[in-house]
Amino acid sequence: MRYESARLADFSYAEKKRGRRNCDTSFFVLVLLLLVMGLVMVLSSSYARAYYDPGNVTGGNALYYFVRQLLFAVLGVAAMLIASRVPMSVYRRFSMHFLVIVIIMLALVPFIGVKANGARRWLGVGGLTVQPSELAKLGVILSFSYLICKIRTGMKTVRYGIMPFAGILVLIVALLVLEPHFSASVIIVAIGGVMLFLGGVRLVWFVSAFGLAGGAIAVVLTFFPYASSRINTWRDPFSSPSDEGYQIVQSLYSIGSGGLSGLGLGGSRQKYLYLPEEHNDFIFSVVCEEMGFIGAALILVLFSLLILRGYWIALHCKDRYSFLVCAGLISLLAIQTFLNVAVVTNLIPCTGISLPFFSYGGTALLIELFEMGIILSASRELTNH
Amino acid sequence: MSVRNKTSGRDSGPGRQMLRRTLFMMAVCGIAVFLLLLARLYKLQIIDHEYYEQLAIAQQLRQAPTSTARGTIYDRNMNPLAVSASVDNVYLSPAEIAQYGEDKELIADGLAGILGLDRDDILEKASQTGSWYVTVARKVEKDVADKVRLFKSEHGLRGVRLETDTKRYYPNSSLACHLIGFVGTDNYGLEGIEARYDEALSGTAGKTVRATDAYGTDLRMSGFENYQPGDAGYDLVTTLDSSIQYYVEKHLKQAVADYDIQNGAGAIAMDVNTGAILAMASLDGYDLNNFLDVSDEVKELAAAASDKEEKQRIISQAQTRQWRNKALSDTYEPGSTFKIITLAMALEEGLVSLSDGYYCPGNVNVLGRSSPIRCWKDGGHGSQNLTEAVQHSCNVAFVNIGQRVGAETFYKYCEAFGFLELTDDPDANLSARTGIDLAGESGSIWWSENTFYSEKNLSQLAAASFGQTFTITPLQLISAVSACVNGGKLMKPYVVEKLLSSDGEINYEREPECVRQVISEETSSTVRTILERVVGDMDEGTGRNAAIKGYKLGGKTGTSEKVSLEAATGQKEYIVSFIGFAPADDPEIALLIFLDTPSHESGIYISGGQMAAPVVGRMMADILPYMGIEPDKEEGLGDVTMPMLLDKSLEAAASTLKDAQLRYRTIGSGSTVTDQLPAAGVTLAADTEVIIYLDAQPSQDKESVPDVSGMSYDQARDTLSYYGIYIKTTSPVTDAGRQSVISQSVSPGTYVSHGSVVEVALYDDDEAMLGRY
Repeated sequence: MRYESARLADFSYAEKKRGRRNCDTSFFVLVLLLLVMGLVMVLSSSYARAYYDPGNVTGGNALYYFVRQLLFAVLGVAAMLIASRVPMSVYRRFSMHFLVIVIIMLALVPFIGVKANGARRWLGVGGLTVQPSELAKLGVILSFSYLICKIRTGMKTVRYGIMPFAGILVLIVALLVLEPHFSASVIIVAIGGVMLFLGGVRLVWFVSAFGLAGGAIAVVLTFFPYASSRINTWRDPFSSPSDEGYQIVQSLYSIGSGGLSGLGLGGSRQKYLYLPEEHNDFIFSVVCEEMGFIGAALILVLFSLLILRGYWIALHCKDRYSFLVCAGLISLLAIQTFLNVAVVTNLIPCTGISLPFFSYGGTALLIELFEMGIILSASRELTNH
Repeated sequence: MSVRNKTSGRDSGPGRQMLRRTLFMMAVCGIAVFLLLLARLYKLQIIDHEYYEQLAIAQQLRQAPTSTARGTIYDRNMNPLAVSASVDNVYLSPAEIAQYGEDKELIADGLAGILGLDRDDILEKASQTGSWYVTVARKVEKDVADKVRLFKSEHGLRGVRLETDTKRYYPNSSLACHLIGFVGTDNYGLEGIEARYDEALSGTAGKTVRATDAYGTDLRMSGFENYQPGDAGYDLVTTLDSSIQYYVEKHLKQAVADYDIQNGAGAIAMDVNTGAILAMASLDGYDLNNFLDVSDEVKELAAAASDKEEKQRIISQAQTRQWRNKALSDTYEPGSTFKIITLAMALEEGLVSLSDGYYCPGNVNVLGRSSPIRCWKDGGHGSQNLTEAVQHSCNVAFVNIGQRVGAETFYKYCEAFGFLELTDDPDANLSARTGIDLAGESGSIWWSENTFYSEKNLSQLAAASFGQTFTITPLQLISAVSACVNGGKLMKPYVVEKLLSSDGEINYEREPECVRQVISEETSSTVRTILERVVGDMDEGTGRNAAIKGYKLGGKTGTSEKVSLEAATGQKEYIVSFIGFAPADDPEIALLIFLDTPSHESGIYISGGQMAAPVVGRMMADILPYMGIEPDKEEGLGDVTMPMLLDKSLEAAASTLKDAQLRYRTIGSGSTVTDQLPAAGVTLAADTEVIIYLDAQPSQDKESVPDVSGMSYDQARDTLSYYGIYIKTTSPVTDAGRQSVISQSVSPGTYVSHGSVVEVALYDDDEAMLGRY
């Protein structure tokens, strides 16, 4: 493993000449570890549904979901390695172009998007589907980083430090509300906020932003009935264990019955069609049921280490743009991870947020690994220490 | 950590403020949130683990009771009366039919063809797509279920399912139906032994605990199944004897037909010495295998009914009626058969003796009654001794005997015989049951002590002395009469002898239970002697129609008028009965039959002696040899054996026949016997005319049996022999001119070969016997 990862992470003489060095091995290994664990869990959690095939998708092939996820994982690792070899200056140059492309894609979704479960969130390209909202997160991070570097001291002002960023966020969120895609909106606003926070916006703005967000949430809950019923379900999932509360109740059954050491890998009973989205948003419930508290804690610790290492890389970037991109991407990973685990453990109201590296979903995994590739690219350009 | 110390500048690293804010993010996103998540997981997985685990298990595991084999019911000779076999229930899982897109039409057509059900009905069931379980057919036999399995696998149908169940089979159909009882579709015993011993028979159901998916299907990949076997039910060995039951039912059915009985009939055969029930019958019976099926007449009646409710009411009424065990659940006024009890208590108390004289002027005045009590015989019986008073079934004599006993002693004995239980409340009506191990036993009803003991009104005691104004069950009567003749011990009646565990070990064996010694052995012996004369005295005995050749029987007739019915409607209806026991000097079996409401149009005088007594005689004639009780050869007069005449000369044949007490006629004109009718060795009545063929052959044509019922025995014998058919009887022939045929073993119009023997039953048509006794 060590040899192989070192070899994979090797870089050309030309890059050496330009002052780029080996990418960060610990970060790389942590990503691969989580990816492999995620693949194993996709296999374990999905084969029951794939075999039973209640939705007439898999044709009874138990390996259906796993094979697809594996394919994207391979493509994703390739994308990560390629991304890690692209100098940060290239990302910087195309930051705003990328944002424009993403916004165009988001604008197309309401018209030509693929509809599923009452929402239109996907764009289909030759059998592949992609959620532009996933790309929008990357777009926000890249563009905000670029703009923060451009504006520099102007970040303290409202005109330059708030308005352009707020404009971008409002536009993106407006497009997401059309889909509708509540959870993606929340994440995008959150990551935008993190970027501004790191970019040096006055703290007073954040205090007022929190107040504003509270008001916005109240408005959303009033006007989007499905969101407010989720709050009620969150407070007492057992009040409606067969309809609204079903997902979360089944998730709690899974997690709780795992106990200290779990039912053993592959031993989940809840995955036999009790737990919905068991290989997707609720995959961590299966992890908890099969691997117990010990296994779940181990995976959380790995995530934590990855995130800490990501911030460490950001702190050692030699330029501000790379720092902001790294810190933004790793914060995004942290937010996604936290929200997913918080949802499945009913710490926060239920909403569809996938767990990085674990949840089934090919293009999302591909994008995540590509983002990790960007951090790895930045890790090649660290300051000497 | 070495971070560049610049606060600004193009292409410079993060500034000081950025550094601080990043470290804050690190602390929050890298550590704090994870500590929060770990705490949450700790709460769910460690602290609340058991709570969630139990909820999860509750939804994941399905407990299915597994049927354990219901025990077999055997008769005393280990002939099976009720057995269980494995069958299948066929059901559909319409949700899966929809899920896998299975062809509903194909399923409906296939199952309709195999199971013989309505196709559209199945199609409708298959369309209930919200359901996972819709029953199509219950308790399908193995061969049919195999066809369903084949059909299922041929088409790979997942929506067609089978599950194992058990079905109860009754090999003897209706035999002893009321005693055995039946089970409902859920295998619970509903009647008879099946109900009373349901717990012992059914054992405890086992259970299978299975892990299932959210649709309730077994997990196919990570199967978890835990089988906890139940305890198989016990096999029961009953006291019932199928052969005796068969004989009893056969003759009882015949009686119901002969006398056109309107309201059913019942019979009990009991082991006199143990209280074991050997047979118990109630008519009309029903087929245990189709216990819901009613008679054709009821069906016609129901078909004629206007609305559906009425139809249902008629059918369910008929079902309730046919399921009722009259011998156990009906109470009746026993009438004269109860005189045995009055006799026994008077003898035991030393109040009467064989040498007593009783004068019967035809009626007797009783204190408290406006009109005198009449004896059944107009003009009275005149002078008679005790034995004759019983033989005559003289009411006047028994009113007299009852008054000698006195009301309180009478009730004391009634209690001792198990007819009633005295209570602390002298105004309460009294009741009792035998406590037999069967469901549905009724209790007797007697006057309260205050009424019965009244010194100003002796009419209750007077009527009770000959068995009227109270009601008891037939079972109580036969138990008490058995005590009177078995040496004085009241035995508790019972039907289940042994419980056998599934490996054949005896788990429980019942000992005969003596409730109490009611009368002395000596008194009992006197009762036996007197009752023997009721049957055995061919001149004076009112029970003489029960007499059979070769055996001594004791017994008593009974004819009870339904007094309350007459008071209400003016109709005269009777229950005629007879209780007999044999052998008279050392009884082994007691037999009670009662016929509820014979038709006035049967042509036979309605009385226990004319109707019920011959039936008991015929039953005894079959049962006693079966029980291995040897007939007394010297008693077997009246029958002769056809000798071998072939190749003899006519003269030699004639003298042989003369010795054999047979008459003959000849056919043909030769001098040597070439054939004979009937064949050698056949038993037939003395003085029968047989046929000798001289150089001739008997016709091979079949002969139609003539109707000889109502003829005297002489006439019947000659009529039959005219056709080359021969007569035989179980009844003792005392006066071949007076005794007439009441029934014949081969029904009129049946074609039989020449030389066949027809058995007839006789009854005494003596004018002097006409009366309700």
